Amino acid sequence: MKLPLSWIKEYVDVTEDIQTLCDKMVGIGLEIEEVVYLGENVTNVKVCQIVEITQHPNAERLLCCKVDIGSELIPIVTNDHHVKVGDKVPVALHNATLANGLHITKGKMRGEESWGMFCGAEELGINGDFYPNADVDGVLVLRDSAVVGTDIRSEVGIDDYVLDVSVTANRQDCNSVLGLAREVAVALGKTCREPDVSYTESGVETTSLVHVDVQATDICKGYYMQGVTDVKIEKSPVWLTQRLAKVGLHGINNLVDITNYVLYEIGQPMHAFDYADIHDHEIIVRRARDGEKIVPLDGKEYVLNNDDLVIADKTRAVGLAGIMGGADSGIKDETNCVLFESASFARLNIRRTGRRLGLRSDSSARFEKGIETYTNNLGLSRALHLVEQLGCGKVTRGRISIGEVAESKKLTFDKKRIKSLLGIKIPDGQILSILSSLNISTNIDGNTVTCIVPPYRDDIMRDCDIVEELIRVYGYDNINGTLMEKSRITCGGKTAENKLIDGMKNVLSGLKYNECIFYPFAGKALFENASVNEVDENQYIKVLNPIGEELSLMNRSLAPNMLQCVALNLSRGNRSLRLFEVGKVYLADTLPLEKLPTEQRRLSICATEVSFDDFRADVLQVVRNLTAGKVRLERANTELLHPGISADVFVNDIEVGHFGKLHPQVAANFDIDVDCMFAELNLDKLLTNARGDVKYQTFAKFPSVSRDFAFLCDEDTPAQAVLDEFLNIYMVESAELFDVYRDEKLGAGKKSLAITVVFRDRKKTLQDADIEKQSGRALKSLKDKYGVTLRE
Amino acid sequence: MKMNEIRAAFETEITNCQDLQSLQELKVKYLGKSGELTVLLKSIKDLPAEERPSFGAEVNALRGVMEARFAEKTDTLKALDMQRRLQEEKVDISLTSCKPLGASHPVTLIENEICDLLIAMGFEVLTGPEIETDYYNFKALNIPDDHPARDMQDTFYITDSILLRTQTSAMQARLMEKRQPPIKVICPGKVFRSDSDASHSPVFHQIEGLVVDKNITLCDLKGTLEYIASHLFGENTKVRFRPSFFPFTEPSVEVDVTCSNCGGKGCSLCKGTGWIELLGAGMVNPFVLEKCGIDSKKYNGFAFGIGMDRVAMIKYGIPDIRLLFENDQRFLKQFGK
Repeated sequence: MKLPLSWIKEYVDVTEDIQTLCDKMVGIGLEIEEVVYLGENVTNVKVCQIVEITQHPNAERLLCCKVDIGSELIPIVTNDHHVKVGDKVPVALHNATLANGLHITKGKMRGEESWGMFCGAEELGINGDFYPNADVDGVLVLRDSAVVGTDIRSEVGIDDYVLDVSVTANRQDCNSVLGLAREVAVALGKTCREPDVSYTESGVETTSLVHVDVQATDICKGYYMQGVTDVKIEKSPVWLTQRLAKVGLHGINNLVDITNYVLYEIGQPMHAFDYADIHDHEIIVRRARDGEKIVPLDGKEYVLNNDDLVIADKTRAVGLAGIMGGADSGIKDETNCVLFESASFARLNIRRTGRRLGLRSDSSARFEKGIETYTNNLGLSRALHLVEQLGCGKVTRGRISIGEVAESKKLTFDKKRIKSLLGIKIPDGQILSILSSLNISTNIDGNTVTCIVPPYRDDIMRDCDIVEELIRVYGYDNINGTLMEKSRITCGGKTAENKLIDGMKNVLSGLKYNECIFYPFAGKALFENASVNEVDENQYIKVLNPIGEELSLMNRSLAPNMLQCVALNLSRGNRSLRLFEVGKVYLADTLPLEKLPTEQRRLSICATEVSFDDFRADVLQVVRNLTAGKVRLERANTELLHPGISADVFVNDIEVGHFGKLHPQVAANFDIDVDCMFAELNLDKLLTNARGDVKYQTFAKFPSVSRDFAFLCDEDTPAQAVLDEFLNIYMVESAELFDVYRDEKLGAGKKSLAITVVFRDRKKTLQDADIEKQSGRALKSLKDKYGVTLRE
Repeated sequence: MKMNEIRAAFETEITNCQDLQSLQELKVKYLGKSGELTVLLKSIKDLPAEERPSFGAEVNALRGVMEARFAEKTDTLKALDMQRRLQEEKVDISLTSCKPLGASHPVTLIENEICDLLIAMGFEVLTGPEIETDYYNFKALNIPDDHPARDMQDTFYITDSILLRTQTSAMQARLMEKRQPPIKVICPGKVFRSDSDASHSPVFHQIEGLVVDKNITLCDLKGTLEYIASHLFGENTKVRFRPSFFPFTEPSVEVDVTCSNCGGKGCSLCKGTGWIELLGAGMVNPFVLEKCGIDSKKYNGFAFGIGMDRVAMIKYGIPDIRLLFENDQRFLKQFGK
């Protein structure tokens, strides 16, 4: 909300400097986004009077003037031939700056001294809204009343500040100069004058002009109307257009300007109908018919439905209620009789219609925030006062008033509530004076506080709202921190699962992986890069109103973001990458969603410059950190990974994820030109078999025996299968692969596996015979199952 | 006589012996199975019977002397040997680089820091869904349909009634529906708003704090936030409340902390004000308590929502929020150990 200081001064005697004013406003909850001094760029420009004009001796186009600047006469050369002796004009003196960035210095023009420059309106940063005749090109001729020698800024109205105040959503009453003036008065401890709403009714009876029928009473809480006859449409006086200009509006004509003025000053959106355009003297406030069309002031045609509210006569809709008037019922130069509408339309309805049609206005913005019926009457009266003040016409007799009249609310509560919420005591005297400054009349009787809340404060509904009013004025600096000494002790901490995930993150950082965070949504193009197959967009949960297509689908895998990140890092010369993310994927039971989807926690790990074996070791390290279950790896078949160099991970025969080298096609899609290993694990599944407490076991008393075996087997025989044959023997403590060997002599498609097996019996010292017997069984089984033979 | 020769030769040899191996050889030479002293003792049978006892005693005495000398010399040589090794064995110890461990993401660091602080005060850490119902994200928080407060946050919708949560406050009603006071909970997590520039990301991280119990006051809120601020930004950090509005708290405040960069004197980070806007907070609106079945006459509560990305940016001097989501490894590694 733009707030000119000069306008505030109409209501409150502000004598404080601007910084103090802003600090005090912030102190009670009005955030100041920006403070603009309108005359900031116009310096050292004064009002002067021309006392002599002569032709420049060396230039036909130039005139030499002597001007009075109050303290002295100075020479000014100008090319504006319209200036006359006796004119008062703005003169930029030596070292002056102007609104268009010009810097003026003393000098000679074609040999004649010129100590400055006459200024036009544009150089002062103003237009006709600010000052009479300021729309004319050339040097600005000032009013006779201008005082020679004074700073030009006060003469043309730019010696003023405009505050941009951010009003919180609950304070719709502060979207007006009057509302903010009330707050400023509170902040400064001063009083706020009431707006002058006096006027004399001198025209015909309002009801003889028009009959109003509010049919949609559910979405029109109040409707007020009064007219003006014998209207003279003309330009508004400068004092009024100047104020409108400072809040960003351009003067149009007196009647329209009055509605805009009331909108800003009182916060009441007004509409002025040309009476001649209201057929059959009837105004109907009704829901639009489905398919009904309207052309509002913007000239475009809109198709309406039954949720939209229109102002109509018997034949047609003449305005989109609260949003925009109709193109053919607005004020025209020849308008003779005007009907002012001041109403309360339901904010919900205005908001929906505005959004659907893509149509917003200053009026609808305010209706969306909520307008009280209290303001309806005040705004209408203020408009009629201005009509009279500006001499626009005769105010009709009587007001058509339909709907409820806002009343003051009464709240009663226990005084202890104040201390129980705030933790501090505010003395009764302070309570009374603070609430009184807010126009909340209050009575304290023992422990009972009774408040009468003014009708424009619809945000105050219960005791805690009053407490907030108290503390924001009393000052939050009076709140001293305490640490819940009077509350009960609670046991805090993270959930067991989150502790495990924290631990897992530590393992990953121990393995030198760096944690990433990605957006949980991306786009189809990225998902397709991360797959050798086409992506079915319909499987994804979709954002209806995304920032862009590339951020519109919720992830079903952590791979796309991670691979994009790898590509980005590689392109920036970060070749050796070790990254991980703990994120979520979003899996819907049905689409479109009928209930909340499953959000599954996952881990992705990615590394370059690492072998498959080393990466597998890292992945298994993480898996074993989380789970005590039995881990098994199987050759994977994914859309993402190299089919020969990737594995699915099973824990207790439940698949929990996969890892391996990127599929060359996927790598190419991302321009990943190095070997890249990727893993994605389902943490929710891993955590279902979380590791339990350690149980200590006594050391074995009897010695172990270690035996090495070398096998000849087919290339496809999994080493783990060979190890498993031994691990299944009860007396085998461990079995590990220590060498893989390939040679022509072994034959094509053959390999040699060398393993070490450690045998131990916990009950006795092992004899060779025991080992022979047990390993013999394993060797036979290996031969039968896989054709694996012992090498000589 | 022979004994004296042996004694003299032994003395010379053991005195000249310079290393443990020669000492061992010497020991064999004199005391071994066919060593000089053993041979000497065997010669006892050639002596008359009456001389044998004294001869035997002398030889044994000499053996005793020799053994003592060997033990003494062994110690000496071992000490010398250690001295020599200590002088010879030397490595270049000057290199100071080591391969750093992986790094936690800066937002995770902030999350952990805040969680640790509040766990110590008895807060539980719980998380909730990111795809949320309109009810929990808005309606239960006193933000009905078409309420102007919805304009405060640009919401990503999935359907009319399902959305990406705009605030971790969405967890408030979820928690309070299921529990009765005392409640002390924090909820970290991702939130979403349709906004993107150097200081706004469509995805960012909040941590919601919620306390509901008897005797909870605004002073407790301030004390708790002071405790967090002083640990996050340094002991002398001050906390300032400014009046604000959130539909689910009343009173509501914006919370500023003294600028950690300039200590409150005014700098570019705090735009010369000396204060940095850090979070929104307030006393839980009784409407919200009642909606969740908690007696608002008996219980008060406070709630706050901290933007963790913003805290990370302030604390670590990160100029652009997008760096947090870009995951350039050179950025990430800076937060490692």
